[in-house]
Amino acid sequence: MTGLFATIIIVVSLALAAWCAVQLIANRPPGLPLWGALGVLELLLLAFLVGGVVQMVGDDRDFARLEFVLYLLGLAALLPLASWWVKDERSRAAAGVLLVVLLVVPVMVVRVQQVWAGTSG
Amino acid sequence: MGEPGARATNRGFGRVLVVIYAVFALAATARSAVQIATRFDEAPVAYTLSAVAAVIYIIATVALARGDRTSHRVATVAITIELVGVLAVGVLSLVLPSDFPRASVWSTFGSGYLFIPLVLPLVGLWWLRRTAGSVTPDD
Repeated sequence: MTGLFATIIIVVSLALAAWCAVQLIANRPPGLPLWGALGVLELLLLAFLVGGVVQMVGDDRDFARLEFVLYLLGLAALLPLASWWVKDERSRAAAGVLLVVLLVVPVMVVRVQQVWAGTSG
Repeated sequence: MGEPGARATNRGFGRVLVVIYAVFALAATARSAVQIATRFDEAPVAYTLSAVAAVIYIIATVALARGDRTSHRVATVAITIELVGVLAVGVLSLVLPSDFPRASVWSTFGSGYLFIPLVLPLVGLWWLRRTAGSVTPDD
């Protein structure tokens, strides 16, 4: 998988995680600007999914394709599911939920890259 | 706050806890499904326990998310099994490493997952104690 795009996703995700941490500490739920930024990250993750599958189809190496696609699908589903889960939450817990998934995103991106490189067990 | 069930297992901190459980449910389910589908013969014991762990996480997630009285009991049982499981698999994976190649979320007490699998059931049981008696009745 392309290194630069994956790195951008990791950086954006960690920046938004820091933003959520600030909201959590300040005892505030996520505001509109944060939701907008999350929307941008989701667009990046959808592009990652599409780009990843396209690259996979055009590649005849032997690697764990099932795991690769599962990780990409999981990444694309993470933020929508978390958003749905906190849609009625008016407390800082909403920021806590988003913080958790924003920390999971970088881990999963790294795993996607490992699976792509064929270095995972 | 103030509405019925405001301190049920799925409110406040519970929201965050449910998401952590959901992440582990997804990770464990996907991982064990891939393991069983592609290489079950390599380590049947570890992979079966992987699947058991996945089921436990799913039950705990759903029970914590529902937050009624029955779910509170279900969650307590599931998370107690989770704690016993992570301790047992953790010990066995150290004593019998050949039967437990680093293959399950519970191997070596969840060291592959920052030991979160070891801490999570303790936090879960603490949260269930805290919310005991304040959950909404069953419908």
